[in-house]
Amino acid sequence: MRIVSATVYALRIPFVEAFAHSARERSFSDSVVVRVVDDAGFEGWGEGAPRPYVTGETVDFMLGHLVERLCPRLLAVEIPPLAGPEDLPSIDALIPEAPTPVVLSDGASRAALEIAVLDCALRRADRSLGALLPPARKKVVYSGVITAGPRDKVAEHARRMRLIGLHQIKIKVGIGDDLERVRSVRDVLPEASLRVDANGAWTPDEAARMIEALAPFGIAAVEQPLPRGELAPLCALRRRSPVPLMVDESLVTIADAEALIAAGACDLFNVRISKCGGLARSRAIARRAVAAGIQVQIGSQVGETAILSAAGRHLAASIDPLAFAEGSFGALLLSEDVSVETVRFGHRGEASLLRGTGLGIRVIEERLRKYAAKVVAVPSAG
Amino acid sequence: MRQRIERLFDRQVAEMVAREEFRDLETGRAPREDYDRFVASVVRTHLKSPQLVAFLYALAPPRAADDLRHNLLEELGIEDEAGVAHPSLLEALAKGAGLEARLPELDALAASDIQRTASDPLLYGTLREVGLAALCEVTAFEFMLSRLAGRIAHALSSHRGLPAESLRWFTHHSEVDVRHAEQGLDALEEYVRSYDFTEEDAWTIMEMTLRQNVFLKRYFGELSVPP
Repeated sequence: MRIVSATVYALRIPFVEAFAHSARERSFSDSVVVRVVDDAGFEGWGEGAPRPYVTGETVDFMLGHLVERLCPRLLAVEIPPLAGPEDLPSIDALIPEAPTPVVLSDGASRAALEIAVLDCALRRADRSLGALLPPARKKVVYSGVITAGPRDKVAEHARRMRLIGLHQIKIKVGIGDDLERVRSVRDVLPEASLRVDANGAWTPDEAARMIEALAPFGIAAVEQPLPRGELAPLCALRRRSPVPLMVDESLVTIADAEALIAAGACDLFNVRISKCGGLARSRAIARRAVAAGIQVQIGSQVGETAILSAAGRHLAASIDPLAFAEGSFGALLLSEDVSVETVRFGHRGEASLLRGTGLGIRVIEERLRKYAAKVVAVPSAG
Repeated sequence: MRQRIERLFDRQVAEMVAREEFRDLETGRAPREDYDRFVASVVRTHLKSPQLVAFLYALAPPRAADDLRHNLLEELGIEDEAGVAHPSLLEALAKGAGLEARLPELDALAASDIQRTASDPLLYGTLREVGLAALCEVTAFEFMLSRLAGRIAHALSSHRGLPAESLRWFTHHSEVDVRHAEQGLDALEEYVRSYDFTEEDAWTIMEMTLRQNVFLKRYFGELSVPP
């Protein structure tokens, strides 16, 4: 099998309402989607979400990187057959390591291409991604995420989540009146498992003080309390924290994972496919975490489309044990999603496994074009 | 509660009227294909309304049941001898716009909308919440049509040249939806009371239902056949 063409779409899908955290407010999806077609006419779809404050990637970087460096190399090689889980890393291995000094990692670019080629190869073989990522459970249960908005908005979101039946909630913090906002969520959801995510907004002293103050609300985990950087302050914070610590921005590469494990710097990993460079690398990180006794959350990108959500569903279903899952908001956040099938979770955050070929969704190309700010065709190898 | 709901509906109507696409239709600036796309979207949106109203009737609390049954009979064109089924009025609208050949496609799209609604994972735990969301959306459309159906009919007549007989769906709605909208608001209040919603929960569901402008989404959104 050979990939004969690739197309890259830079999307701008409006959100139903803006979503904010301490580092950024976002009102539209800016995912980059890759479509590949093989020599038998099968297509595959992948997606990455550039986050300048996480991997350093921007939409423009991803477009250039995919079109000029990564896709052309894939267009020139034979794609090996994918027989079982052991073959998952084989596509990642074909994507060239293309180090560039302008970004911390090209994870979102690699993820978009890896997922597209996997989807294509599996469609051609009439197999589901579940063949490479055997599910360890029959459904995935997603958490709700509450934006870093004003208190009345936070309470309103909490009420929505109560009515939807979500029982695991993450609250964005690090914007000033965190205690009051967490209190208003706890008032609405007295029984829910609550986590907070500071997106690296705190100094070590602030983090220690805030975690101490938040602990009485029954917080299951504090995500990324400190900015990405040296591990010593994180280790020190963990030693005195009454609440388990989760890393996100600090965990981008496999090397990051190994360093975090070696330092004993955290209790949980937030593994996100786009951030971590695709399914194979995400799984490799999760495997290291499980072996080290670190809990795993399969996270998501705010504004991801059904493509990345579908990949996330397969990954989350395959990780055992799994502490939390995020994502699959679909049209709860996007004004329109891009697949025929609804990937969005339902009541109680529950979502069934995707059993169709490839990712298990059918992408509506016309809709991608409707929301594409740019569409770039990669010149074929011939 | 009622005033709060009316403000929510009013805001959505105002957003629709302010949208460039709507203004272009009203002022005649829109190209012919935009009028046709709009007509097709209206037909798709409302073609299966009797089924939706039947669902609402099935869930209707006793004191709102009579009004909803009357709406259903009206949708089916059997409330009196002169009645015409609303899907027939929509077909006449499509034919008036020269979209007769597209009617099977529009019917298929409307059917697929129902199928998707029925197949998508339910956000809520019981039918009472699902029913409230559906009643809220239907009432919002009646509210909007009671205010805009006449203007839309005038625009389609003046700028797209649709004959009066093809515009009966709009003229009918401009006449009856003032009453329907009032009854719809009564039904919403009765539904909330009868099913023991707290005002806060009811409001949260209605606000979530109309978080995105449903009129813009349905009338100016995408019109493509899923692969």
